[in-house]
Amino acid sequence: MKYTPFFSDNLNALLRMLHIPVVLKRPVFAIPIGISFYTMQAASYVLDVYRGKIRADRSLLRIALFMSFFPQIMEGPICRYSDTAAQLWEAPRIRFENLTAGVERILWGLMKKTVVADRLNLLIENVFSGYEAYDGFVIALAAVCYTVQLYMDFSGTMDVVIGTGQIFGITMPENFKRPFFSKTISEFWTRWHITLGTWFKDYLFYPLSVTKPMKKLTSRARKRFGNHYGPLFSGAIALLCVWLCNGLWHGAGWHYIVFGLYHFALILTGSLIAPLSISLAEKLHIRRDHFLYRTLQGIRTFVLVCIGELIFRALSLGQALGMLKKIGTQFTTAVLRDGSLFTMGMDRQDYIIVFVTLVIVLIVGIVQERGVRIREYLAGRNLAVRFAAGYALILFIVIFGAYGLGYLPVNPIYAGF
Amino acid sequence: MTDRKRIYIRRCFYAVLFFLGLAVLLTVVSFIFSPKDNTEEAGMEEVFANGILGEPEDTIDVLVAGDSYSYTSTIPPQIWKETGITCYASGTNDQSLDYTLVMLKRAFRKQNPKLVLLEASPIYREITPFGRLTAALSSVFPIFHYHDRWKSLRGEDFTRRPEYTLTKDYKGYKYFTKIVPAPDTDNMVKTDEAEPIPESSRYYMKKILKFCQDHGAVLALMSAPNRTYWNYSRHNGISALAEELGCDYIDANLAAEEIGIDWEHDTCDGGDHLNHAGSVKATQFVTGYLTSLGILEDHREDPKYSHWDKALKKYEKQVRKEDI
Repeated sequence: MKYTPFFSDNLNALLRMLHIPVVLKRPVFAIPIGISFYTMQAASYVLDVYRGKIRADRSLLRIALFMSFFPQIMEGPICRYSDTAAQLWEAPRIRFENLTAGVERILWGLMKKTVVADRLNLLIENVFSGYEAYDGFVIALAAVCYTVQLYMDFSGTMDVVIGTGQIFGITMPENFKRPFFSKTISEFWTRWHITLGTWFKDYLFYPLSVTKPMKKLTSRARKRFGNHYGPLFSGAIALLCVWLCNGLWHGAGWHYIVFGLYHFALILTGSLIAPLSISLAEKLHIRRDHFLYRTLQGIRTFVLVCIGELIFRALSLGQALGMLKKIGTQFTTAVLRDGSLFTMGMDRQDYIIVFVTLVIVLIVGIVQERGVRIREYLAGRNLAVRFAAGYALILFIVIFGAYGLGYLPVNPIYAGF
Repeated sequence: MTDRKRIYIRRCFYAVLFFLGLAVLLTVVSFIFSPKDNTEEAGMEEVFANGILGEPEDTIDVLVAGDSYSYTSTIPPQIWKETGITCYASGTNDQSLDYTLVMLKRAFRKQNPKLVLLEASPIYREITPFGRLTAALSSVFPIFHYHDRWKSLRGEDFTRRPEYTLTKDYKGYKYFTKIVPAPDTDNMVKTDEAEPIPESSRYYMKKILKFCQDHGAVLALMSAPNRTYWNYSRHNGISALAEELGCDYIDANLAAEEIGIDWEHDTCDGGDHLNHAGSVKATQFVTGYLTSLGILEDHREDPKYSHWDKALKKYEKQVRKEDI
């Protein structure tokens, strides 16, 4: 349903190129909301049963409940039967601790979405819908803003979904784990949209890697290229399939496919040059665990992610290439000097409040990265502190949220996939 | 009492305490964030429409509500000149019915209009559940409406009580002089089809009707001459709704020829909005309806309304100046 128009368009283009006078019909279907998410969820159940990992459930109601638990329908997370079905069926009683913790998480997610993601929307819309009018600096800024928007929107929505589950006593899998603390692209994908990544790993990468032809190829490659590069060679084929599917999962368009291939190339390159960079660092006496080194790795990863998100957000592959070209050839900082930066959908105060909120999210991220569970910490404080934290969060959303007069409502971005 | 019951009661008490505290906080920030005057400098939105807040108390007979089609098709000074009826066009751009209700509530704080004339176009504008939620919240806590004023708060916002001083001489009417002819369309070809009314609009229309009834005002619906947004199917939909609500509905599109609307000259944007020439004709149509009701008084001899004569002079001077 989702891909038929894309494939028929491309087949028609191919037929035209080959001068074959055949035009295939271009069927267009109304696509049910959340189809990409619950298809994966249903497939995981069927495959787990097939592999004997779980037993087939004889209760249609239990399966239906697992498939249709309302908070996850639109954007995931992509749950596994073995993780959530039993919890849902047991229907635990709503407990006060879960209720407050769930509501706190929902508010945190709303803050990320309404204060940052929705506020950035106008600037991003303006630039991506008419990039020809902007120079490279503004396009690069829009790419960074989109990356931030996507994270704050998707992870914010996940906070709402997981918080809602928590209210009902259901523990759902996490989808984000502070991805911008990643030092490499491989690590990034273990922290960003985690349930999609693990799905592809479990149901595509591993099954492909252990097929007989692949095993043969691996042992041959190991003999020829050694223990590091040998498995990489055969693994690259499975990885390519994963990233092609990952790109296509996001949407039927060449720019999504290129987005997937871009990340495939980055991950493969990272694996290929890993031994080289380790030995180079040793020779140059660079401490790889030094804060500065890790920070630079983080910045490099962020920049690479932003380039990928620019390709992802562009309306077509041609537009993505055009935007990247402008970043490379027309990069000026004129908008900073003439003040026009503040006329593209965000004024000075908007930039300030986005910055302040990102700093808050960063601090919370650092604290969480050190293993502190903030909501549990808060739950142990006295009533006045807990009330003050709740009031502060609610007022922050009410006052600084980008809603109402002068703003356009923004649907959750991943609900469109 | 068991421990479990005691914990339950204590938690309920804390929850009530939390929400009470939140209500107090929202009331305080609502006071701070509400504009202290109905001027642009004070942070008031839509100052043309909100000019009604500066009008002397209980001096408006007819409140015209709706979107941009309302304030481009009703000229209050012209109605005053011809009938002595005071009318204010409090429509705003792209208005949706939740905001119509907000504007009505605001206007009725100082005024007691006998008639609310609602331009029907917003009825076909869908309101999202989030829009309904924020509208409901902002009717209790204005912070939800004015939250973006954090960008322009001044010292006086923390202490001063609101005092509305701004009045508009054209009483909400916005004139356009440009002429962009409208292409021929078949928008008003008779049909039996009726475009369904969105559920959210039905909900708000009932609320608006109830509000008017509670405040002793009559609600009537009207459609301004339009060649792009309006059509016969929508006319039928609104006719049925008006019947259901038990209110009048007048559609200038059915009387466009009779009124003398010339789509070559009377529109400023190809048939969507009327220009001043078109507005004058549409206002005559509205005036005819107002006088036919027989419930609205002529105030031209009443000194309490002398400011309307001044406003009329300014309006006429502007018309002469623009030569429109």
